[in-house]
Amino acid sequence: MLNLLAAEKIKLFRSKKFWITLSILCLLPIMQVVNSLFAVRNGEELVQVIDTVVNGATGVLMMEKNGLTILLVIGAFSSFFIGEEFQNGTIRNTLSLGRSRTHYYFSKFVIAALLSFVGVLGMTAIGMTSFTAAFGFGGVAEINNYFSYALKTFGTLYVLILANVSVYVMISFLTKNSSFALIWGFLYTIGTGFLPGIFQQTAHFKQVTYWFTESFLFYLDFAKPADIALYSEMVLVSLVTIVLSSAVGIFLFTRSDIK
Amino acid sequence: MSETILKTTNVSKVYGKHKVLDKVSIEIKRGMIYGLIGENGAGKSTFMRTIMGLITIDEGNIELFGETDTKGLQQARRKMGQSIETPALYPELTARQNLQVQAANGGVSERKIDELLHLMNLSHTGKKKAKNFSLGMRQRLAIASTLMTNPEFLILDEPTNGLDPSGIVEMREIIQRLVTERGITVLLSSHLLDELSQIATHYGILHDGKIISELSKEELARETRQYIELETTDVQQAVVILDQLGIKDYEVINGTEINIYEQLDDVAAINRALVLAEVNVSRIGTSRQKLEDYFLQLTGGIPHAESVSS
Repeated sequence: MLNLLAAEKIKLFRSKKFWITLSILCLLPIMQVVNSLFAVRNGEELVQVIDTVVNGATGVLMMEKNGLTILLVIGAFSSFFIGEEFQNGTIRNTLSLGRSRTHYYFSKFVIAALLSFVGVLGMTAIGMTSFTAAFGFGGVAEINNYFSYALKTFGTLYVLILANVSVYVMISFLTKNSSFALIWGFLYTIGTGFLPGIFQQTAHFKQVTYWFTESFLFYLDFAKPADIALYSEMVLVSLVTIVLSSAVGIFLFTRSDIK
Repeated sequence: MSETILKTTNVSKVYGKHKVLDKVSIEIKRGMIYGLIGENGAGKSTFMRTIMGLITIDEGNIELFGETDTKGLQQARRKMGQSIETPALYPELTARQNLQVQAANGGVSERKIDELLHLMNLSHTGKKKAKNFSLGMRQRLAIASTLMTNPEFLILDEPTNGLDPSGIVEMREIIQRLVTERGITVLLSSHLLDELSQIATHYGILHDGKIISELSKEELARETRQYIELETTDVQQAVVILDQLGIKDYEVINGTEINIYEQLDDVAAINRALVLAEVNVSRIGTSRQKLEDYFLQLTGGIPHAESVSS
Protein backbone atom coordinates (compact mmCIF):
# COMPACT_ATOMS: atom_id res chain seq x y z
CA MET A 1 0.00 0.00 0.00
CA LEU A 2 2.81 2.42 0.93
CA ASN A 3 4.62 1.55 -2.29
CA LEU A 4 1.48 2.32 -4.26
CA LEU A 5 1.09 5.63 -2.46
CA ALA A 6 4.73 6.48 -3.21
CA ALA A 7 4.05 5.83 -6.90
CA GLU A 8 0.88 7.94 -6.74
CA LYS A 9 2.87 10.79 -5.19
CA ILE A 10 5.30 10.84 -8.12
CA LYS A 11 2.41 10.90 -10.61
CA LEU A 12 0.45 13.49 -8.64
CA PHE A 13 3.15 16.12 -8.28
CA ARG A 14 3.94 15.94 -11.99
CA SER A 15 0.30 16.02 -13.01
CA LYS A 16 -1.01 19.22 -14.52
CA LYS A 17 -4.52 18.25 -13.44
CA PHE A 18 -3.42 18.24 -9.81
CA TRP A 19 -2.04 21.78 -10.00
CA ILE A 20 -5.01 23.03 -12.02
CA THR A 21 -7.42 21.57 -9.45
CA LEU A 22 -5.53 23.14 -6.55
CA SER A 23 -5.29 26.46 -8.39
CA ILE A 24 -9.04 26.57 -9.03
CA LEU A 25 -9.81 25.77 -5.40
CA CYS A 26 -7.36 28.39 -4.13
CA LEU A 27 -8.22 31.16 -6.59
CA LEU A 28 -11.95 30.83 -6.07
CA PRO A 29 -12.07 32.58 -2.63
CA ILE A 30 -9.89 35.43 -3.95
CA MET A 31 -12.29 35.99 -6.83
CA GLN A 32 -15.21 35.83 -4.42
CA VAL A 33 -13.75 38.36 -1.99
CA VAL A 34 -13.08 40.73 -4.88
CA ASN A 35 -16.64 40.18 -6.07
CA SER A 36 -17.99 40.86 -2.57
CA LEU A 37 -15.89 44.03 -2.29
CA PHE A 38 -17.34 45.34 -5.54
CA ALA A 39 -20.84 44.48 -4.36
CA VAL A 40 -20.34 46.39 -1.09
CA ARG A 41 -18.82 49.35 -2.94
CA ASN A 42 -21.90 49.38 -5.15
CA GLY A 43 -24.06 49.82 -2.07
CA GLU A 44 -25.12 46.21 -1.53
CA GLU A 45 -25.02 44.64 1.91
CA LEU A 46 -23.60 41.18 2.48
CA VAL A 47 -26.13 38.88 4.18
CA GLN A 48 -24.85 35.65 5.69
CA VAL A 49 -27.93 33.58 4.81
CA ILE A 50 -27.58 34.52 1.15
CA ASP A 51 -23.87 35.15 0.67
CA THR A 52 -22.77 32.45 3.20
CA VAL A 53 -19.34 34.06 3.72
CA VAL A 54 -19.50 37.67 4.83
CA ASN A 55 -16.37 38.07 6.98
CA GLY A 56 -13.27 36.21 8.16
CA ALA A 57 -15.17 34.14 10.73
CA THR A 58 -17.70 32.86 8.21
CA GLY A 59 -14.79 32.10 5.89
CA VAL A 60 -14.85 28.62 7.42
CA LEU A 61 -18.01 28.12 5.35
CA MET A 62 -16.15 28.40 2.02
CA MET A 63 -16.92 24.71 1.36
CA GLU A 64 -20.62 25.39 1.80
CA LYS A 65 -20.46 28.46 -0.42
CA ASN A 66 -18.62 26.58 -3.19
CA GLY A 67 -20.05 23.11 -2.64
CA LEU A 68 -21.09 22.44 -6.24
CA THR A 69 -17.88 23.84 -7.72
CA ILE A 70 -15.72 21.79 -5.37
CA LEU A 71 -17.61 18.62 -6.22
CA LEU A 72 -17.42 19.20 -9.96
CA VAL A 73 -13.72 20.07 -9.90
CA ILE A 74 -12.73 17.14 -7.67
CA GLY A 75 -15.08 14.86 -9.60
CA ALA A 76 -13.32 15.83 -12.83
CA PHE A 77 -9.90 15.31 -11.25
CA SER A 78 -10.84 11.84 -9.97
CA SER A 79 -12.28 10.86 -13.35
CA PHE A 80 -9.05 11.73 -15.16
CA PHE A 81 -6.69 10.54 -12.45
CA ILE A 82 -8.25 7.08 -12.35
CA GLY A 83 -9.76 6.78 -15.84
CA GLU A 84 -6.46 7.49 -17.58
CA GLU A 85 -4.81 4.59 -15.76
CA PHE A 86 -7.24 2.30 -17.55
CA GLN A 87 -7.03 4.13 -20.87
CA ASN A 88 -3.21 4.31 -20.92
CA GLY A 89 -3.02 0.71 -19.72
CA THR A 90 -0.73 1.75 -16.87
CA ILE A 91 -2.98 0.01 -14.36
CA ARG A 92 -1.65 -3.24 -15.84
CA ASN A 93 1.90 -2.29 -14.84
CA THR A 94 0.83 -2.21 -11.20
CA LEU A 95 -1.67 -5.06 -11.06
CA SER A 96 0.50 -7.48 -13.02
CA LEU A 97 3.11 -7.10 -10.28
CA GLY A 98 0.69 -8.96 -8.07
CA ARG A 99 -0.47 -5.86 -6.22
CA SER A 100 -3.80 -6.25 -4.47
CA ARG A 101 -6.67 -4.60 -6.30
CA THR A 102 -8.17 -3.54 -2.99
CA HIS A 103 -4.93 -1.76 -2.09
CA TYR A 104 -4.83 -0.17 -5.52
CA TYR A 105 -8.41 1.07 -5.07
CA PHE A 106 -7.63 2.48 -1.64
CA SER A 107 -4.44 4.16 -2.83
CA LYS A 108 -6.49 6.08 -5.40
CA PHE A 109 -9.13 6.94 -2.82
CA VAL A 110 -6.51 8.14 -0.34
CA ILE A 111 -4.94 10.37 -2.99
CA ALA A 112 -8.33 11.81 -4.01
CA ALA A 113 -9.17 12.35 -0.33
CA LEU A 114 -5.83 14.05 0.36
CA LEU A 115 -6.16 16.28 -2.68
CA SER A 116 -9.66 17.26 -1.55
CA PHE A 117 -8.37 17.96 1.95
CA VAL A 118 -5.48 20.11 0.78
CA GLY A 119 -7.75 21.86 -1.72
CA VAL A 120 -10.54 22.71 0.72
CA LEU A 121 -8.05 23.56 3.46
CA GLY A 122 -6.33 25.99 1.11
CA MET A 123 -9.66 27.37 -0.02
CA THR A 124 -10.87 27.86 3.56
CA ALA A 125 -7.59 29.39 4.74
CA ILE A 126 -7.42 31.79 1.79
CA GLY A 127 -11.13 32.55 2.18
CA MET A 128 -10.79 33.36 5.88
CA THR A 129 -7.64 35.45 5.33
CA SER A 130 -8.93 37.40 2.37
CA PHE A 131 -12.39 38.05 3.86
CA THR A 132 -10.72 39.12 7.11
CA ALA A 133 -8.55 41.54 5.14
CA ALA A 134 -11.57 42.90 3.28
CA PHE A 135 -14.30 42.90 5.91
CA GLY A 136 -12.60 42.12 9.22
CA PHE A 137 -12.79 38.85 11.12
CA GLY A 138 -16.12 39.58 12.83
CA GLY A 139 -17.99 36.58 14.18
CA VAL A 140 -20.77 34.10 13.57
CA ALA A 141 -24.16 34.93 15.05
CA GLU A 142 -25.15 32.82 18.08
CA ILE A 143 -21.75 31.10 18.24
CA ASN A 144 -19.89 31.57 21.49
CA ASN A 145 -16.99 29.16 21.14
CA TYR A 146 -15.80 29.98 17.63
CA PHE A 147 -12.73 27.72 17.63
CA SER A 148 -14.78 24.62 18.46
CA TYR A 149 -17.46 25.63 15.95
CA ALA A 150 -14.89 26.21 13.19
CA LEU A 151 -13.22 22.85 13.76
CA LYS A 152 -16.53 20.97 13.81
CA THR A 153 -17.86 22.82 10.78
CA PHE A 154 -14.72 22.34 8.73
CA GLY A 155 -14.58 18.64 9.67
CA THR A 156 -18.24 18.06 8.88
CA LEU A 157 -18.11 19.90 5.57
CA TYR A 158 -14.98 17.98 4.59
CA VAL A 159 -16.58 14.63 5.44
CA LEU A 160 -19.60 15.60 3.32
CA ILE A 161 -17.24 16.39 0.43
CA LEU A 162 -15.29 13.18 1.07
CA ALA A 163 -18.45 11.09 0.75
CA ASN A 164 -18.89 12.46 -2.75
CA VAL A 165 -15.21 11.87 -3.54
CA SER A 166 -15.73 8.26 -2.54
CA VAL A 167 -18.63 7.98 -5.00
CA TYR A 168 -16.54 9.59 -7.78
CA VAL A 169 -13.75 7.09 -7.15
CA MET A 170 -16.26 4.25 -7.34
CA ILE A 171 -17.71 5.62 -10.59
CA SER A 172 -14.21 5.98 -12.10
CA PHE A 173 -13.32 2.38 -11.25
CA LEU A 174 -16.60 1.08 -12.63
CA THR A 175 -16.57 3.04 -15.89
CA LYS A 176 -12.78 2.54 -16.46
CA ASN A 177 -12.83 5.55 -18.74
CA SER A 178 -12.24 9.21 -17.86
CA SER A 179 -14.95 10.57 -20.19
CA PHE A 180 -17.65 8.20 -18.98
CA ALA A 181 -16.57 8.76 -15.38
CA LEU A 182 -16.81 12.51 -15.95
CA ILE A 183 -20.32 12.26 -17.36
CA TRP A 184 -21.61 9.83 -14.71
CA GLY A 185 -19.94 11.82 -11.94
CA PHE A 186 -21.58 14.98 -13.22
CA LEU A 187 -24.97 13.25 -13.48
CA TYR A 188 -24.57 11.90 -9.95
CA THR A 189 -23.73 15.36 -8.59
CA ILE A 190 -26.62 17.04 -10.35
CA GLY A 191 -29.00 14.17 -9.62
CA THR A 192 -28.30 13.89 -5.92
CA GLY A 193 -28.14 17.67 -5.70
CA PHE A 194 -31.60 18.26 -7.07
CA LEU A 195 -33.55 15.04 -6.56
CA PRO A 196 -33.67 15.43 -2.75
CA GLY A 197 -35.29 18.81 -3.28
CA ILE A 198 -38.01 17.05 -5.25
CA PHE A 199 -38.26 14.29 -2.64
CA GLN A 200 -38.84 16.97 -0.03
CA GLN A 201 -42.01 17.96 -1.85
CA THR A 202 -43.47 14.44 -1.82
CA ALA A 203 -45.10 12.62 1.07
CA HIS A 204 -43.67 9.17 0.26
CA PHE A 205 -40.03 10.10 -0.38
CA LYS A 206 -39.67 12.94 2.09
CA GLN A 207 -37.65 10.79 4.51
CA VAL A 208 -35.19 9.94 1.72
CA THR A 209 -34.12 13.57 1.35
CA TYR A 210 -31.35 13.41 3.92
CA TRP A 211 -30.00 10.08 2.79
CA PHE A 212 -27.85 12.08 0.39
CA THR A 213 -24.87 14.08 1.59
CA GLU A 214 -25.51 16.80 -0.95
CA SER A 215 -28.86 17.61 0.64
CA PHE A 216 -26.96 18.81 3.70
CA LEU A 217 -24.31 20.55 1.64
CA PHE A 218 -26.70 22.42 -0.65
CA TYR A 219 -29.80 23.06 1.43
CA LEU A 220 -28.65 23.68 5.00
CA ASP A 221 -27.07 26.73 6.57
CA PHE A 222 -24.01 25.79 8.58
CA ALA A 223 -24.18 29.01 10.56
CA LYS A 224 -27.69 28.24 11.87
CA PRO A 225 -27.82 26.47 15.29
CA ALA A 226 -30.70 24.20 14.19
CA ASP A 227 -28.65 22.93 11.26
CA ILE A 228 -25.44 22.77 13.30
CA ALA A 229 -27.30 20.34 15.54
CA LEU A 230 -27.46 17.95 12.56
CA TYR A 231 -23.66 17.60 12.29
CA SER A 232 -23.62 14.11 13.79
CA GLU A 233 -26.33 12.99 11.34
CA MET A 234 -24.32 14.49 8.46
CA VAL A 235 -21.18 12.63 9.52
CA LEU A 236 -23.15 9.39 9.84
CA VAL A 237 -24.72 9.71 6.37
CA SER A 238 -21.27 10.57 4.96
CA LEU A 239 -19.59 7.58 6.59
CA VAL A 240 -22.33 5.25 5.39
CA THR A 241 -21.91 6.65 1.86
CA ILE A 242 -18.13 6.17 2.01
CA VAL A 243 -18.41 2.60 3.29
CA LEU A 244 -21.14 1.62 0.84
CA SER A 245 -19.55 3.19 -2.25
CA SER A 246 -16.12 1.77 -1.38
CA ALA A 247 -17.56 -1.68 -0.75
CA VAL A 248 -19.45 -1.66 -4.05
CA GLY A 249 -16.47 -0.20 -5.92
CA ILE A 250 -13.97 -2.72 -4.52
CA PHE A 251 -16.37 -5.65 -4.94
CA LEU A 252 -16.94 -4.91 -8.62
CA PHE A 253 -13.37 -3.81 -9.39
CA THR A 254 -11.83 -6.97 -7.93
CA ARG A 255 -14.13 -9.05 -10.11
CA SER A 256 -13.74 -7.12 -13.32
CA ASP A 257 -11.43 -7.88 -16.23
CA ILE A 258 -8.74 -5.35 -17.13
CA LYS A 259 -8.39 -4.94 -20.87
CA MET B 1 15.25 -31.05 -15.86
CA SER B 2 14.86 -27.25 -15.91
CA GLU B 3 12.36 -25.51 -13.69
CA THR B 4 8.83 -24.93 -14.93
CA ILE B 5 8.07 -21.21 -14.92
CA LEU B 6 4.54 -21.33 -16.26
CA LYS B 7 2.17 -24.20 -16.71
CA THR B 8 -1.41 -23.71 -17.76
CA THR B 9 -3.86 -26.56 -17.79
CA ASN B 10 -7.12 -26.36 -19.71
CA VAL B 11 -7.44 -22.61 -19.26
CA SER B 12 -10.75 -21.39 -20.67
CA LYS B 13 -12.38 -17.99 -20.84
CA VAL B 14 -15.86 -17.24 -22.11
CA TYR B 15 -17.28 -13.84 -23.05
CA GLY B 16 -21.03 -14.20 -23.44
CA LYS B 17 -21.44 -17.12 -25.82
CA HIS B 18 -17.96 -16.74 -27.31
CA LYS B 19 -15.24 -19.00 -25.98
CA VAL B 20 -12.13 -16.84 -26.28
CA LEU B 21 -9.84 -19.45 -24.73
CA ASP B 22 -10.64 -23.12 -25.03
CA LYS B 23 -8.69 -25.44 -22.75
CA VAL B 24 -5.31 -23.84 -23.38
CA SER B 25 -2.47 -25.91 -21.93
CA ILE B 26 1.17 -24.91 -22.30
CA GLU B 27 4.34 -25.34 -20.30
CA ILE B 28 7.23 -22.88 -20.29
CA LYS B 29 10.52 -23.87 -18.73
CA ARG B 30 13.30 -21.59 -17.54
CA GLY B 31 15.37 -20.12 -20.35
CA MET B 32 12.77 -20.65 -23.06
CA ILE B 33 11.64 -17.98 -25.48
CA TYR B 34 8.14 -19.22 -26.06
CA GLY B 35 6.48 -17.75 -29.11
CA LEU B 36 2.72 -17.67 -29.09
CA ILE B 37 1.49 -17.38 -32.65
CA GLY B 38 -2.02 -16.68 -33.71
CA GLU B 39 -4.05 -14.51 -36.01
CA ASN B 40 -5.59 -11.33 -34.68
CA GLY B 41 -8.41 -12.34 -32.36
CA ALA B 42 -7.01 -15.83 -31.76
CA GLY B 43 -6.87 -15.14 -28.01
CA LYS B 44 -3.17 -14.35 -27.51
CA SER B 45 -3.64 -11.16 -25.51
CA THR B 46 -6.49 -12.65 -23.49
CA PHE B 47 -4.31 -15.63 -22.61
CA MET B 48 -1.46 -13.35 -21.54
CA ARG B 49 -3.82 -11.28 -19.44
CA THR B 50 -5.08 -14.37 -17.63
CA ILE B 51 -1.48 -15.22 -16.69
CA MET B 52 -0.98 -11.72 -15.33
CA GLY B 53 -4.17 -11.92 -13.30
CA LEU B 54 -5.84 -9.10 -15.20
CA ILE B 55 -8.58 -11.42 -16.43
CA THR B 56 -10.19 -14.15 -14.39
CA ILE B 57 -10.41 -17.61 -15.93
CA ASP B 58 -13.65 -19.57 -16.10
CA GLU B 59 -11.99 -22.96 -16.10
CA GLY B 60 -8.58 -24.54 -15.77
CA ASN B 61 -5.48 -23.96 -13.72
CA ILE B 62 -2.48 -21.63 -13.85
CA GLU B 63 0.79 -22.57 -12.19
CA LEU B 64 3.38 -19.81 -11.97
CA PHE B 65 6.75 -20.46 -10.36
CA GLY B 66 5.14 -23.52 -8.78
CA GLU B 67 2.31 -21.51 -7.19
CA THR B 68 -1.32 -22.25 -7.96
CA ASP B 69 -3.45 -20.64 -5.24
CA THR B 70 -4.57 -17.01 -5.45
CA LYS B 71 -2.19 -15.72 -2.80
CA GLY B 72 0.76 -17.68 -4.18
CA LEU B 73 0.06 -16.51 -7.72
CA GLN B 74 -0.05 -12.93 -6.52
CA GLN B 75 3.40 -13.36 -4.97
CA ALA B 76 4.73 -15.15 -8.05
CA ARG B 77 3.60 -12.30 -10.29
CA ARG B 78 6.15 -10.05 -8.58
CA LYS B 79 8.77 -12.03 -10.51
CA MET B 80 7.07 -11.12 -13.77
CA GLY B 81 7.21 -8.21 -16.16
CA GLN B 82 4.79 -7.45 -18.95
CA SER B 83 4.13 -5.28 -21.92
CA ILE B 84 0.78 -5.93 -23.50
CA GLU B 85 -0.12 -4.49 -26.91
CA THR B 86 0.54 -0.74 -26.78
CA PRO B 87 3.29 0.44 -24.43
CA ALA B 88 1.62 1.36 -21.13
CA LEU B 89 3.30 4.60 -20.08
CA TYR B 90 2.46 7.89 -18.42
CA PRO B 91 2.53 10.25 -21.40
CA GLU B 92 3.11 13.38 -19.31
CA LEU B 93 6.16 11.92 -17.56
CA THR B 94 9.73 11.61 -18.82
CA ALA B 95 11.43 8.25 -19.32
CA ARG B 96 13.14 8.58 -15.93
CA GLN B 97 9.91 9.52 -14.15
CA ASN B 98 8.07 6.59 -15.74
CA LEU B 99 10.73 4.28 -14.37
CA GLN B 100 10.53 5.96 -10.96
CA VAL B 101 6.80 5.21 -10.85
CA GLN B 102 7.39 1.56 -11.69
CA ALA B 103 10.18 1.32 -9.12
CA ALA B 104 7.77 2.64 -6.50
CA ASN B 105 5.03 0.24 -7.64
CA GLY B 106 7.39 -2.67 -7.29
CA GLY B 107 8.93 -1.42 -4.07
CA VAL B 108 12.45 -1.53 -5.52
CA SER B 109 15.33 0.91 -5.51
CA GLU B 110 15.70 3.57 -8.21
CA ARG B 111 19.41 2.73 -8.62
CA LYS B 112 18.80 0.70 -11.76
CA ILE B 113 17.19 3.55 -13.68
CA ASP B 114 20.38 4.87 -15.29
CA GLU B 115 21.50 1.38 -16.25
CA LEU B 116 18.13 0.58 -17.85
CA LEU B 117 17.95 3.88 -19.70
CA HIS B 118 21.41 3.13 -21.07
CA LEU B 119 20.48 -0.47 -21.91
CA MET B 120 17.44 0.68 -23.86
CA ASN B 121 19.29 3.56 -25.49
CA LEU B 122 17.09 6.16 -23.81
CA SER B 123 19.74 8.01 -21.79
CA HIS B 124 19.58 10.98 -24.13
CA THR B 125 15.83 11.62 -23.72
CA GLY B 126 16.29 13.99 -20.76
CA LYS B 127 13.18 16.04 -20.09
CA LYS B 128 11.34 14.85 -23.18
CA LYS B 129 7.93 13.52 -22.23
CA ALA B 130 6.93 9.99 -23.17
CA LYS B 131 4.06 11.32 -25.29
CA ASN B 132 6.65 12.84 -27.65
CA PHE B 133 8.60 9.58 -28.06
CA SER B 134 8.57 7.55 -31.26
CA LEU B 135 6.79 4.19 -31.08
CA GLY B 136 10.14 2.40 -30.96
CA MET B 137 11.28 4.54 -28.04
CA ARG B 138 8.02 3.93 -26.24
CA GLN B 139 8.36 0.18 -26.76
CA ARG B 140 11.88 0.30 -25.37
CA LEU B 141 10.76 2.38 -22.41
CA ALA B 142 7.91 -0.05 -21.73
CA ILE B 143 10.41 -2.91 -21.63
CA ALA B 144 12.75 -0.88 -19.42
CA SER B 145 9.79 -0.32 -17.13
CA THR B 146 9.10 -4.05 -16.90
CA LEU B 147 12.77 -4.67 -16.08
CA MET B 148 12.72 -2.28 -13.11
CA THR B 149 11.48 -5.02 -10.81
CA ASN B 150 14.10 -7.60 -11.93
CA PRO B 151 11.64 -10.01 -13.52
CA GLU B 152 12.56 -13.62 -14.14
CA PHE B 153 9.74 -14.05 -16.59
CA LEU B 154 8.76 -11.51 -19.22
CA ILE B 155 5.50 -11.41 -21.14
CA LEU B 156 5.61 -9.36 -24.32
CA ASP B 157 2.55 -9.06 -26.48
CA GLU B 158 3.44 -8.21 -30.08
CA PRO B 159 6.49 -6.15 -29.07
CA THR B 160 7.37 -5.35 -32.68
CA ASN B 161 3.89 -4.23 -33.64
CA GLY B 162 4.02 -0.98 -35.60
CA LEU B 163 7.82 -0.78 -35.61
CA ASP B 164 9.85 -0.08 -38.74
CA PRO B 165 12.33 -2.75 -39.94
CA SER B 166 15.25 -1.30 -37.99
CA GLY B 167 13.05 -1.05 -34.91
CA ILE B 168 12.05 -4.70 -35.31
CA VAL B 169 15.69 -5.79 -35.52
CA GLU B 170 16.56 -3.63 -32.51
CA MET B 171 13.70 -5.08 -30.47
CA ARG B 172 14.72 -8.61 -31.42
CA GLU B 173 18.28 -7.92 -30.30
CA ILE B 174 17.07 -6.48 -27.02
CA ILE B 175 14.98 -9.55 -26.27
CA GLN B 176 17.84 -11.88 -27.15
CA ARG B 177 20.19 -9.89 -24.97
CA LEU B 178 17.78 -10.09 -22.03
CA VAL B 179 17.66 -13.85 -22.37
CA THR B 180 21.39 -14.40 -22.76
CA GLU B 181 22.67 -11.75 -20.35
CA ARG B 182 19.99 -11.82 -17.68
CA GLY B 183 18.62 -15.33 -18.02
CA ILE B 184 15.06 -14.11 -18.39
CA THR B 185 12.41 -16.51 -19.63
CA VAL B 186 10.17 -14.92 -22.25
CA LEU B 187 6.67 -15.49 -23.52
CA LEU B 188 6.04 -13.35 -26.55
CA SER B 189 3.30 -13.26 -29.09
CA SER B 190 3.01 -12.33 -32.71
CA HIS B 191 0.76 -13.01 -35.62
CA LEU B 192 3.87 -13.44 -37.79
CA LEU B 193 5.51 -16.83 -37.48
CA ASP B 194 8.35 -15.71 -39.72
CA GLU B 195 9.23 -12.95 -37.27
CA LEU B 196 8.99 -15.21 -34.21
CA SER B 197 11.07 -17.91 -35.87
CA GLN B 198 14.09 -15.63 -35.67
CA ILE B 199 14.00 -15.48 -31.92
CA ALA B 200 11.77 -18.11 -30.28
CA THR B 201 12.98 -21.47 -29.04
CA HIS B 202 9.53 -22.97 -28.70
CA TYR B 203 6.21 -22.27 -30.35
CA GLY B 204 2.56 -22.59 -29.50
CA ILE B 205 0.07 -22.00 -32.26
CA LEU B 206 -3.18 -20.55 -31.03
CA HIS B 207 -6.21 -20.66 -33.26
CA ASP B 208 -9.77 -19.79 -32.27
CA GLY B 209 -8.75 -19.91 -28.63
CA LYS B 210 -7.19 -23.38 -28.89
CA ILE B 211 -3.56 -24.47 -28.93
CA ILE B 212 -3.52 -26.49 -32.16
CA SER B 213 0.19 -27.23 -32.19
CA GLU B 214 3.23 -26.93 -29.94
CA LEU B 215 6.69 -27.48 -31.29
CA SER B 216 10.33 -26.69 -30.67
CA LYS B 217 12.59 -24.64 -32.93
CA GLU B 218 14.10 -27.86 -34.30
CA GLU B 219 10.69 -29.36 -34.99
CA LEU B 220 9.59 -26.22 -36.77
CA ALA B 221 12.75 -26.22 -38.85
CA ARG B 222 12.09 -29.83 -39.79
CA GLU B 223 8.48 -29.11 -40.65
CA THR B 224 9.31 -26.15 -42.81
CA ARG B 225 12.64 -27.07 -44.37
CA GLN B 226 13.22 -27.18 -48.08
CA TYR B 227 13.51 -30.52 -49.87
CA ILE B 228 13.52 -32.16 -53.31
CA GLU B 229 10.24 -33.80 -54.11
CA LEU B 230 10.65 -36.82 -56.36
CA GLU B 231 7.71 -38.61 -57.94
CA THR B 232 8.49 -41.90 -59.65
CA THR B 233 6.80 -45.20 -60.54
CA ASP B 234 9.90 -47.12 -59.37
CA VAL B 235 10.70 -46.09 -55.83
CA GLN B 236 12.93 -49.10 -55.10
CA GLN B 237 15.26 -48.43 -58.01
CA ALA B 238 15.25 -44.69 -57.26
CA VAL B 239 16.41 -45.43 -53.69
CA VAL B 240 19.30 -47.52 -55.05
CA ILE B 241 20.39 -44.63 -57.28
CA LEU B 242 20.15 -42.14 -54.40
CA ASP B 243 22.36 -44.43 -52.31
CA GLN B 244 24.85 -44.62 -55.17
CA LEU B 245 24.87 -40.79 -55.28
CA GLY B 246 25.78 -40.76 -51.60
CA ILE B 247 22.46 -39.21 -50.53
CA LYS B 248 21.53 -40.35 -47.04
CA ASP B 249 18.93 -37.85 -45.84
CA TYR B 250 15.81 -38.80 -47.69
CA GLU B 251 12.38 -40.13 -46.81
CA VAL B 252 10.13 -42.48 -48.74
CA ILE B 253 6.72 -40.96 -48.34
CA ASN B 254 4.64 -43.57 -50.17
CA GLY B 255 4.82 -45.93 -53.18
CA THR B 256 5.49 -43.09 -55.60
CA GLU B 257 7.04 -40.23 -53.62
CA ILE B 258 10.42 -39.59 -52.04
CA ASN B 259 11.52 -36.43 -50.25
CA ILE B 260 15.23 -35.68 -50.45
CA TYR B 261 16.61 -33.29 -47.82
CA GLU B 262 20.19 -32.79 -49.05
CA GLN B 263 22.00 -31.74 -52.24
CA LEU B 264 19.16 -29.30 -52.89
CA ASP B 265 21.19 -27.51 -55.54
CA ASP B 266 21.81 -30.71 -57.54
CA VAL B 267 18.28 -31.40 -58.76
CA ALA B 268 19.49 -31.63 -62.35
CA ALA B 269 22.30 -34.08 -61.48
CA ILE B 270 19.94 -36.30 -59.49
CA ASN B 271 17.43 -36.22 -62.32
CA ARG B 272 20.14 -37.13 -64.86
CA ALA B 273 21.38 -40.04 -62.72
CA LEU B 274 17.83 -41.40 -62.33
CA VAL B 275 17.08 -41.11 -66.05
CA LEU B 276 20.38 -42.74 -67.01
CA ALA B 277 19.46 -45.64 -64.71
CA GLU B 278 16.12 -45.86 -66.56
CA VAL B 279 14.09 -44.79 -63.53
CA ASN B 280 10.86 -43.26 -64.71
CA VAL B 281 10.74 -39.76 -63.17
CA SER B 282 7.23 -38.30 -63.27
CA ARG B 283 8.16 -35.14 -61.43
CA ILE B 284 11.15 -33.70 -59.61
CA GLY B 285 11.59 -30.29 -58.07
CA THR B 286 12.34 -28.37 -54.94
CA SER B 287 9.50 -27.94 -52.59
CA ARG B 288 9.45 -25.53 -49.77
CA GLN B 289 6.93 -24.80 -47.12
CA LYS B 290 7.34 -21.23 -45.98
CA LEU B 291 6.74 -20.53 -42.33
CA GLU B 292 3.65 -18.50 -43.02
CA ASP B 293 2.28 -21.21 -45.30
CA TYR B 294 2.94 -23.77 -42.63
CA PHE B 295 1.05 -21.62 -40.17
CA LEU B 296 -1.83 -21.14 -42.56
CA GLN B 297 -1.89 -24.82 -43.31
CA LEU B 298 -2.20 -25.56 -39.61
CA THR B 299 -4.93 -23.00 -39.12
CA GLY B 300 -6.78 -24.07 -42.24
CA GLY B 301 -5.72 -21.22 -44.52
CA ILE B 302 -3.62 -23.02 -47.16
CA PRO B 303 -3.94 -26.80 -47.32
CA HIS B 304 -0.79 -27.70 -49.27
CA ALA B 305 2.84 -26.73 -49.44
CA GLU B 306 4.17 -24.63 -52.24
CA SER B 307 5.86 -26.72 -54.91
CA VAL B 308 8.33 -25.42 -57.45
CA SER B 309 9.01 -27.70 -60.35
CA SER B 310 12.29 -27.50 -62.10
